[in-house]
Amino acid sequence: MRRTLAIARAEWIHNLRDPRSLFVIVVLPVVLLLLYGYGINYDLRHIPFAVWDLSGTTVSRDLVQSFVASGYFRLRHVVIHQEEVAGLLDGGDVIFVMVIPPDLAQRLGASRPAKVQVLLSGADTTRASVAQGYIEAALLQASQALATRAQLRSGTTGRIPPGFGISTTILYNPSLNSTRFIVPGLIAVLLTILAALLTSTAVVREREWSSFETLVTSPVRAPNIMLGKMAPYVLIAFVDVLLSIVTGVLVFHVEPVGSVALLLAVSFLYLLASLSIGMLFSTVMKTQQLAILVTMLTTLLPTTLLSGFAFPLRSMPTVLQAVSNVIPATHFLIVIRSIYLKGAGLDVLWPRVAVLALFALALTVLAAKRFEKRL
Amino acid sequence: MIAIPLAVEVDHLVRRFGDFVAVDDVSFTVNQGEVFGFLGPNGSGKSTTIRILCGLLAPSGGHAVVAGLDVWRQAEGIRAQMGYMPQFFSLYGDLTGAENIEFYAAMYSVPPAEIRRRLDFLAERLELGSVLNRLTRTLSTGWRQRLALATAIAHQPPLVFLDEPTSGVDPVTRRLFWDVIADLAHDGATVFVTTHVMDEAEHCTHLAMMHYGKLIAQGPPEQMRRDLVSSLVQVQSERIWDALQALQGAPQIHEVALFGEALHAEVAAEVADPEERVRQVLASAHVPVASVQRVAPTMEDVFVSLARRYERPTTAGRDA
Repeated sequence: MRRTLAIARAEWIHNLRDPRSLFVIVVLPVVLLLLYGYGINYDLRHIPFAVWDLSGTTVSRDLVQSFVASGYFRLRHVVIHQEEVAGLLDGGDVIFVMVIPPDLAQRLGASRPAKVQVLLSGADTTRASVAQGYIEAALLQASQALATRAQLRSGTTGRIPPGFGISTTILYNPSLNSTRFIVPGLIAVLLTILAALLTSTAVVREREWSSFETLVTSPVRAPNIMLGKMAPYVLIAFVDVLLSIVTGVLVFHVEPVGSVALLLAVSFLYLLASLSIGMLFSTVMKTQQLAILVTMLTTLLPTTLLSGFAFPLRSMPTVLQAVSNVIPATHFLIVIRSIYLKGAGLDVLWPRVAVLALFALALTVLAAKRFEKRL
Repeated sequence: MIAIPLAVEVDHLVRRFGDFVAVDDVSFTVNQGEVFGFLGPNGSGKSTTIRILCGLLAPSGGHAVVAGLDVWRQAEGIRAQMGYMPQFFSLYGDLTGAENIEFYAAMYSVPPAEIRRRLDFLAERLELGSVLNRLTRTLSTGWRQRLALATAIAHQPPLVFLDEPTSGVDPVTRRLFWDVIADLAHDGATVFVTTHVMDEAEHCTHLAMMHYGKLIAQGPPEQMRRDLVSSLVQVQSERIWDALQALQGAPQIHEVALFGEALHAEVAAEVADPEERVRQVLASAHVPVASVQRVAPTMEDVFVSLARRYERPTTAGRDA
């Protein structure tokens, strides 16, 4: 135990005194978060849309005007014929088409709710989900403006007119219900990079320094070395997970719906799998550069491309879907998104969590077996 | 007869790297409490042997036993009894001297209180001073070697392997090292030390000489001097080059070498009066002589004499 702690302590010091490690631990998460934050903020402005105004009244024109004035939407086209709608969405010219019903003014005048139909393109899930949130907000605001005006006109505080309702139809990807999943996705990517990258270099670094030769001749056992080397990264990774959650709340306004404790517990399982993959690499690699390169290619790319982080699994070819099943990140992503966005608990998630636990166990055992005290 | 427990037993040990034979059928034993000097030039197979004994390399043939355990198959059983100072700097560059010593002492399960006591002792004995608080990567070779030695002996192992501890070290530090090694042996430890500086062999109680992977001689230093160099005669002359030519190839004269401003000639052991024999050779060649006298051979004489008896293999040696 004391040996493991001594190794963990030394590993901790290596990281603290190595600018490169500090970069990966502190700067990389921040850079990634900012990159994604910037990407999303960029998309938030000037969302292109089209209007099919069947009402053609002052109220409907005011509504469209309020959308444009908000700065979040840009009116690209005014639809005259119904046939145009499909083409606009298919071609990606607009993200959504707002259909204003013919009886809008009448319903509002009669203090009945008036539904505005929104046809939303789900092809770009991220933009679609963000757009949806903004449309709802804009409509709510327009309703409030309408109500205020009505009150001013009547001079009473009597009945407030119900305002605009919304009926959203999402095209192409109707299951777009887990909104803003970028933050939990980012946690998965961070854990993958950190864990695999840092552990694989942790042992390879010893080889480069030839300190491994002295360590090998000492009576410390291989599992102690492995455990001691992994321990600091568990701590570092947990700090980065918490950092991601906090940044998610502050920058993206995404708060975890489910249990943070469960989130951390599942992260720990995934972390074990990732750390063990890194340890496995370290047994083969001879230089840090090679370790970094190979780790990037074999963990980061599948995690971002094949796990459903960037592209929906459902839209992948069957072969790739099968491949994605053997990537721990795939299961972790589903679990963490469900906890984060839907507030799902173990009662629902246990099969995926079991798969993750199996991955963690298998990879840890494999790494422990392959990790030898040999040069 | 009192049985001396064997500390190290090496039996027909072979290690190949591809076609290259780094260690070629080497056998020797090291007794407990000895300072065993493992001599030979760079690339003679010393480091390979020491790394096999430390369980870092598998032997290609033969076997080596330390404290009754096979160094490769039962390596873990021996480790706690051993201290190892590798030939190349292998401390953590981003840890201070003290942190390095503490780290390795912890690896050998030395209790924390004992670690502090040993740290104080080593700081004093190896005159480490403020170097203990500096990152080792900022230190010069001499200081690094002191710290490496301190690290290797911090857990007071009964068997210490030191691979060229004095390379790149100034004469004062060198003397300090050999004093510390003598202390270790005095306290009952067995010290296995390699060096290519032949004069350092005088500090050892037992020697083994390696040359191109082969063990060419072994024994206590004085015995090696007595047995292996037949008789060494020093010649001084105004016409030193003529003397050299006259002696080279003369019957019963094995080796002639320039040694400063004098000649060292090795005369066959069966010659009763080696000085007279040298005088005869020089007189018949009409070379005037200032002085001819027997001298005690240095370890370098011993090594040169031995090395010349063995033919150079065609493959160049390397220190693996």
